[in-house]
Amino acid sequence: MNAPFSPYLARIAPGLKELISLLRQRYDYVSVLSTDSTGFQVSISQRAKSVSRDTLCTERGTVVRVYRDGLYAESAFTGFDPAEAEKTCASICAELDEQLDLLRECGVEPYETAVLPDEPQTIFTEMETGRMPEDEDISALVDRLTAVSDRGMEQGKARGLNLIDFTVRASSTHICKLFLTGNRDLRQSYVYSEGMAAALVAGEEKTDFAYTSESERFGPELFDHVEDRIPEVLRVAKDLVSAERVEPGEYEVITSPEVTGLIAHEAFGHGVEMDMFVKGRALGADYIGRRVGSDLVTMHEGALCAEDTSSYAFDDEGTPAGDVTEIDHGILRTGICDALSALRLGTKPTGNGKRQNFSHKVYTRMTNTVFDSGSSTLEEMIASVRKGYLLEGMQSGMEDPKHWGIQCIIDRGYEIIDGKLTGKVVSPLVMTGYVPDLLGSVSMISSDRKVFGAGYCGKGYKEWVKTAQGGPYLKAKVRLG
Amino acid sequence: MSDKHLNQLIDILKSSGADAWEVADINEWGWEFYFIRHRLDQHRTKAVDSFSVKVYKDLEEGKFLGSASSRISPDASAEEMRRIVDGLCRDAAYVRNPFYTLNPPSGNEAAAEPAPLDMKNVCAAFLRAMRSLPETETESLNSYEIFVSEIRRRFMNSSGIDVTSVYPSSMVEAVVNARKDGHEIELYRMLKSGTCDPAQLIKELTEALTSGRDKLAASPTPALEKADVVFSTDPARELYCYFLSRLDTAMVYRGMSDWKIGDIVAPENLTLQAVRTLPNSSWNTPYDEEGAPIRDLVLIDHGKAVSYWGRRQFSQYMKLDSSFDVYNFAVSGGSETEAELRAGDYLEVVDFSDFQVDEITGDIAGEIRLAYLHQGGIVTPVSGGSISGNMSELAKTMRFSKESRQYNCHLIPSVTRLKDVTVTGC
Repeated sequence: MNAPFSPYLARIAPGLKELISLLRQRYDYVSVLSTDSTGFQVSISQRAKSVSRDTLCTERGTVVRVYRDGLYAESAFTGFDPAEAEKTCASICAELDEQLDLLRECGVEPYETAVLPDEPQTIFTEMETGRMPEDEDISALVDRLTAVSDRGMEQGKARGLNLIDFTVRASSTHICKLFLTGNRDLRQSYVYSEGMAAALVAGEEKTDFAYTSESERFGPELFDHVEDRIPEVLRVAKDLVSAERVEPGEYEVITSPEVTGLIAHEAFGHGVEMDMFVKGRALGADYIGRRVGSDLVTMHEGALCAEDTSSYAFDDEGTPAGDVTEIDHGILRTGICDALSALRLGTKPTGNGKRQNFSHKVYTRMTNTVFDSGSSTLEEMIASVRKGYLLEGMQSGMEDPKHWGIQCIIDRGYEIIDGKLTGKVVSPLVMTGYVPDLLGSVSMISSDRKVFGAGYCGKGYKEWVKTAQGGPYLKAKVRLG
Repeated sequence: MSDKHLNQLIDILKSSGADAWEVADINEWGWEFYFIRHRLDQHRTKAVDSFSVKVYKDLEEGKFLGSASSRISPDASAEEMRRIVDGLCRDAAYVRNPFYTLNPPSGNEAAAEPAPLDMKNVCAAFLRAMRSLPETETESLNSYEIFVSEIRRRFMNSSGIDVTSVYPSSMVEAVVNARKDGHEIELYRMLKSGTCDPAQLIKELTEALTSGRDKLAASPTPALEKADVVFSTDPARELYCYFLSRLDTAMVYRGMSDWKIGDIVAPENLTLQAVRTLPNSSWNTPYDEEGAPIRDLVLIDHGKAVSYWGRRQFSQYMKLDSSFDVYNFAVSGGSETEAELRAGDYLEVVDFSDFQVDEITGDIAGEIRLAYLHQGGIVTPVSGGSISGNMSELAKTMRFSKESRQYNCHLIPSVTRLKDVTVTGC
């Protein structure tokens, strides 16, 4: 089936068009983004259960962007009444004028920017999905997740693990967005789903949390076979309770697709967000056309380059989704860009202008960030390592576009000596280094690839949005602590 | 949101078949200003309202309590609200948690309502403070964002609570640059507060400008293997949040923390207290999100766990009747001065990429963006590499100053020293 577009947004669209028309009498550019996204989240464990009709991306509200005298301003609000467009217009203008008075009093000068183009365009997309979150049988889902939690506990005990709990989480979100200007009418509706299974396991010295996740740009059918995750979670749990601390140093490593995705995201995902170019905050601006990785490294970014939780038809500024080749055989080709940054840099937007929700500002943000596949097998890659680790699972990462440092906290490392896995596990690992050194050391890439979209990405420590990242196995040299 | 709308929702809840319910009517009014250097990138206003609704169903004659929650938009029609509430009642019937009761009225709900936020003046104070920093040709602001908002939250439940919290919440995110001989570095700061305290804001960002200058001269961090590490900036909060989290009833009940009342869980002189207010904290609300009154409460007394804290459900499971969510806390008990803690050889890390303390495992980790290596009386700025370790070991020899410093909702020792931390060089 196709995910149906929101009747609420369809109902208020004429009123929003009237609002745009009224605001255009005062401003040189006006756009409106309205959202109506619904969903659910179910979390089941032995000790606590919850059902909510909210996810981080469920929302309903409107943001108006206006432009005059070289300056952009926005007003975000809830509760738009289509019959009260004039009143809403007056309220927006009055408050923005009040802000301008204050800014003038404080002697603030604008960062002058050109006006956004407003070429006629119409998009109406209802993406294909399986089931809809709003139609999901929550009773059956609770029963299924409860059975998985029970089975996880039983199987864990049968394997000799001291399991404290086994948690299963399922969430599904139906995104509906309406973007309007005087000449443009863009409407999209799609569904994505995320699942997580986790074991809380007590070891001799500490308690640890083993988890796996999955995601898809489809409906709650993702959870039909969630019990298949149990063996993987228990394997990770067993590995974590036996893990030791790594001896700090530089190692040859093979990164699993999840860790590869984390590197993609933190290294040249954030590193080429071009709103950072405008501020002079990204070293990448000086490296376009220059080598930043080995010849094996090619990396794509865009809502179109994979199908996962951040694969939309247009971004939050009405720019159609794209697929950008950021790194081509080791050469940095371009970055990703929101519409205002593109105006300021004299380039074209790439469909990466995203908001945490309607009430937040647009920044350049990632969608799907993915390394291209190579030609090696995982077995060949392991056999080539003299002393190092196979890295699996991610905990967190932090970008550093200005200096190209990288911090990735990795869940587990599996020791490899003379081309063979020894069975020794280390956890957790802090992977740090200089991004071009890391990417320059990539010497083998596997022929498969996988994308992970169950996490959220912040810009600094705020502005959380859905992103997906991944790729194949990479062989590289990194510093672990 | 209008009282009419709220009353309509409550009427729907009362007739829905729910055995209990909670409603929060949340209004956020905010002004925001975004700057590239000192030029205005854009300005924004925000007026966002929503209802947060939770319904409860008694299951199997009070053995279990089911619940389900949802936000409801302020422009939802009565029909839409009824459809959502009916759906929640159905969902709640599938969620079999052990029975507990909702917070009862505390008897002193009529807390004085604070004066409304003077938005224009608070924003003006931020704007002027940011333009009065001691910037130079070589150390300056790259960009900054100012957020000022007033949160109004009315909470009602079927037990009779009807309380309103109104509080300001502000934030400045700033990026500082320093440059020399064609080389430029940056440092990042996120400073939260209630309203604007210009002196504090200027102090914090002036320190960042100084750190920026030092980072320019930083050498690569050497591999120290094990070293004493001193924390004297914002990331130190994470060390103390670890102690707080481990006493959260949700953590303890779910087996993520094994701390018990009476256990020695922290250095013997450490006292950690939940406090109702801290000066200019962005969390000075009289009630938590479930309507429980917030009060001062000692959680760790001279290293010994003396009280759990937490939200209603898990606190009831742990036989706590008057618990609450902790937002502000204060740590005290240090007996050494900052100078005493800075004696001998140590690495003082003032800026991390992202310093983290895992509240379940106790693992600590962070990449070093700027640190000062003190060895044999020589101080060297260093950058790169990382620190790691585990709090269950490190807490045993942790030392902290008698002087304190406030970071928004946390009042903590101004200097904390950990022994034998793993330092990986770069």
